[in-house]
Amino acid sequence: MVKLNNGYVPETIDEALAIMRDEKVKPYSGGTDLMIEGEEGISYLFLNKIPELKVITQDHDYIKIGAECTFTDIEESDVAPQILKDAISELAGPAIRNFATIGGNIGNGSAKADSALILFVTDSLIRLRGADSERTIYIKDFYKQRKQLDLKEGELIIEVLIPKRYLKNYYYKKIGTRKALAISRVSFAGLFHEENGVITHLATAFGAVEPTIVRHSEIDGMFIGKTISEAKSLKDNYVNAYDNAMNPSAGRVSKEYRKTVCINLLKDFLGVNGI
Amino acid sequence: MEKIGKSVVKKDHAAKISGVAKYIADYPTDGILHGKFLRSTIAHANIKNITVPELPDGYMIVNKDDVLGENKVHIVLEDMPVFAIDTVEYIGDPILMVLGLDENKVEDIVSKIVVDYEELPAVLDMTKSEVAFFDYHLSKGDVDKSFEDADRVYDEVINTGYNEHIYLETNGMIADYHDGKVTVSGSMQCPYYILKAVQLATGLEKDKVQVKGETTGGGFGGKEDYPSILACQVAVASMKAKKPVRVIFDRREDITSTSKRHPSTARYRAAIKDGKITAMDINIIYDAGAYSTLSAVVLQRGVICANGVYKIENLRVHGKANKTNTVPKGAFRGFGAPQVFFDVELFMNHIAKGEERNSIDFKKEHMVMQGDATSTNGKFHFHVPLNEMIKEAEDLSNYKEKKELYDKPQTGRFRRGIGMALAFHGAGFTGSGERDLIKAVLKLKKHQSGIVEILSANTEMGQGLHTTLSKIAGKELGIPFDEIILSNPDTDEVPDSGPTVASRSLMIVGELVRRAAARLKDEWIDGEEQIIEEHYKHPDFLIPFSLDNFRGDAYPTYSWSVQVMEVEIDMLTGQHNVLGAYGSFDVGTPIDMNIVVGQMEGGMLQGIGYSSMEYMDHDNKGRIRNNSMSDYIIPTAMDIPVIKVQVHVAEYPEGPYGAKGAGELPTVGVAAAYIEAVEQALGKNIDHIPFTVEDTMKTICSKED
Amino acid sequence: MEYIEFKLNGDNMKYEGDASDRLLDVLRDTYKLTGVKCGCKEGECGACSVIIDGRLANSCMIAMGSIQGSDVMTIEGFSKTERFKVIDKAYGDVSAVQCGYCIPGMVLATECILGKNPHPTETDIRRGISGNLCRCTGYNSIVKAIGNAAKEGEGLW
Repeated sequence: MVKLNNGYVPETIDEALAIMRDEKVKPYSGGTDLMIEGEEGISYLFLNKIPELKVITQDHDYIKIGAECTFTDIEESDVAPQILKDAISELAGPAIRNFATIGGNIGNGSAKADSALILFVTDSLIRLRGADSERTIYIKDFYKQRKQLDLKEGELIIEVLIPKRYLKNYYYKKIGTRKALAISRVSFAGLFHEENGVITHLATAFGAVEPTIVRHSEIDGMFIGKTISEAKSLKDNYVNAYDNAMNPSAGRVSKEYRKTVCINLLKDFLGVNGI
Repeated sequence: MEKIGKSVVKKDHAAKISGVAKYIADYPTDGILHGKFLRSTIAHANIKNITVPELPDGYMIVNKDDVLGENKVHIVLEDMPVFAIDTVEYIGDPILMVLGLDENKVEDIVSKIVVDYEELPAVLDMTKSEVAFFDYHLSKGDVDKSFEDADRVYDEVINTGYNEHIYLETNGMIADYHDGKVTVSGSMQCPYYILKAVQLATGLEKDKVQVKGETTGGGFGGKEDYPSILACQVAVASMKAKKPVRVIFDRREDITSTSKRHPSTARYRAAIKDGKITAMDINIIYDAGAYSTLSAVVLQRGVICANGVYKIENLRVHGKANKTNTVPKGAFRGFGAPQVFFDVELFMNHIAKGEERNSIDFKKEHMVMQGDATSTNGKFHFHVPLNEMIKEAEDLSNYKEKKELYDKPQTGRFRRGIGMALAFHGAGFTGSGERDLIKAVLKLKKHQSGIVEILSANTEMGQGLHTTLSKIAGKELGIPFDEIILSNPDTDEVPDSGPTVASRSLMIVGELVRRAAARLKDEWIDGEEQIIEEHYKHPDFLIPFSLDNFRGDAYPTYSWSVQVMEVEIDMLTGQHNVLGAYGSFDVGTPIDMNIVVGQMEGGMLQGIGYSSMEYMDHDNKGRIRNNSMSDYIIPTAMDIPVIKVQVHVAEYPEGPYGAKGAGELPTVGVAAAYIEAVEQALGKNIDHIPFTVEDTMKTICSKED
Repeated sequence: MEYIEFKLNGDNMKYEGDASDRLLDVLRDTYKLTGVKCGCKEGECGACSVIIDGRLANSCMIAMGSIQGSDVMTIEGFSKTERFKVIDKAYGDVSAVQCGYCIPGMVLATECILGKNPHPTETDIRRGISGNLCRCTGYNSIVKAIGNAAKEGEGLW
């Protein structure tokens, strides 16, 4: 562990958590959000030199990505899922991707976070640790409200766990302001799985349209267990349910634009899957 | 003999690519006081009181009371104060400057100053303004009769929006007052404009003001008038502090408080008789912002070019530059022309559609030719190469096949369109400006050693001017261009060869360089120092121009462009994908091919941004919300991968080796081609730029109603 | 005294300021390396590009504490290399340098593109410079220069 003027550079998670418990510090992952504000005289806890947090592994059920993995690390990993790589490849530019981390992207709490959208649609888990605690919760439970996370005092994000089961057949679309260096105006991700003509999984999530990422698994559940032709007859109900449930905010683009595009993408996602 | 256009490695290449070239912010700052502005946060108000916190030693305020000359910035008129007097006229209006050694402390002090404003009504809509800084009328033929006799009348209102330069290097200036003289150095396009302005504000004599143009990281017109304002402010500050003063803008400050392109609204009417346009009646309003700055000249160009490349014998143009309580607008590549060329080309496209004519055929029937009168009854004295250039652009882009293909009904998710626009840019100052206002003087100095130095006030801001002027002198003298000396301008050393604007530097100053070099060659004496002075000569063939009635040759010659844009729209999201940007450009003889092509490509990309992604506006309080690089969107390298340029040469005999003005041309004609493509893809007419992704979605949805 | 130890253009450095200080400011003000430019201070333009531990970085988005133990290279350091000579010639031959402000960043981005992929496609190149904004060139000449550097520099990367 290295102590600096107004900063700490721990080498292990335990060291980092001890400092979180004992000192008044702000966790610094990649810096690409924090440094925009550039607060002065603040004490940072630099997490980028902790090898334990930069690991990408998998077991039978999950792909596990350490919170300090940069987007470049994820892009270059053989293990990370393609849907996540797609989302990351359109994020900012190379220099940002080299330093921005998945932990930082989530920790920002923004509904525009490109990686968070993927974690929502995959119903991923997030593991958190404090000096004397540990818990693993669903990502959707981690986001409470706009930029408000269920992050307790002294806790750090350790890793995300992405269920492997339904990752193969996915749909991803980001509408940014241009083809690179683009903040999302609307983003959408969808997963679809059918077995022997029966839909076994369907998941959708919308980013950048409401204060938190939109995931209505109860609406998506309408299709589970149905055949494709049954699903076709339910399509209008499904789309209407989303039309009613979604309440986009106005921002750099209008609510109408967001709603229209979300519904368009939703229909297209169903369409490419035969519904 | 090798053609002058053969590309060379530019003179400024080595210093810039190695990071050695110094821009104004790169100079050491030991002992320099940093300055930060307190700017108005209200669009229109009386200043009732200003409460400044207690200032630590060495920190001070500079305001209107410290202006030793006149509290006016000379641009064209002098309506803008150096520091606000009792009112503020726009959000961002500089009230005072805080100076001190520590930048952070200075910022802190600024944030603690409290201004007591008495808010006044603010005019934010140019159409509701009752103050026209300038009001011009151009009229010829019998417009009213033509409309009476018309078979059909076309009538449209077309709008254009804000546009911000986003030069990568923000504005910056250092002033150093010592021994009764002030030296101002910084990022700029016009050292002598600044000299005149600083003289007025400081009350100093001409020989007590020195202006040095440093390596400038992009201008595009954004550093034409604005630096005069900043220069006056830092000069006044340095005189008070008796120490050097440095102001370097951060990006947000630069975006929100420096000059922008004039937004505009225009009503175009055309009378059609027997399938041809017999008259146009045009009304334009430019949003000038809070002060007049360059609006007179921008408006002049807009009025003169409002009818585009077309021969309209019955023509009426009424243009106004209206005051609003928003950031003062200024120069930006094209200088009033991009707005009207968008308007007229769009209008022509719509008329052609209405008349069920192919747009290019319809345009060709109205295009001017050599010998025809201009809008102001000047003359197109030289060949108009549009027909050849249309063919070149068609071949470059496969325009005809694509237009036909995209005209067929499109039903898929991705729909395409292709558009073509014609434009010119009159190079040089309007009318007799070169002769009566600028009166450019250029010197060549031959050192005893035989080294030749060009003494010119024109700045290198990326357009390659130092290389091209050196090539001209070198060719004439038979000396390698890289042995010709051409330094960054210092008004103590160089004569006033005029500002680096209006696409004039190569055409006008370059020709002065050529003539001076030719004379030097004739008069060369080995071993002796020689100075050759060359003065601007107004070409004899020009029909005298009068601003009173807008008559005569507004420009000595024209550069021409034909641009094609191919765009694909995602009907589900409204997103645009530019499949190709193509252009044939005539800027006369290219003095350096790579430099010309680089200017054309860069200018086209700016025009594409202007048409689509570069949205900016003020809100109902007069605030510019798109105030950062993440919110004001310019294209990245991934956005428009296909840009193809063809250089067409129609020489101008009065330009050096036949060269004409080039810098602004490529931006002028892009928007209408872009929008024509989008219209074809959507199957609906459009009436404004920027046409954003959201605008596109609205149109897609309305089509289905 | 707690200082930050890092390598700068090959030299061992000890920075005595705050861990929260911005690398861009430190490079320019403390170490007088003014080849690193400031265009926006928000990580949106790439004018401040440097290479940290072999990866392209926006120095305006880097706090000093995060480079403890790292290797930093600026244009001043890179311009002394053989690879730079090839890039320099490639950019010069197509006049890819206009106002020059984006160029140090573009050159370092070029080094990172070719370092990762010595034979990049045009798409790879455009992606590799997608975080470096240029307002002058329209990008074509820069893309061409990078492609030419790849060809001319065969074996260097």
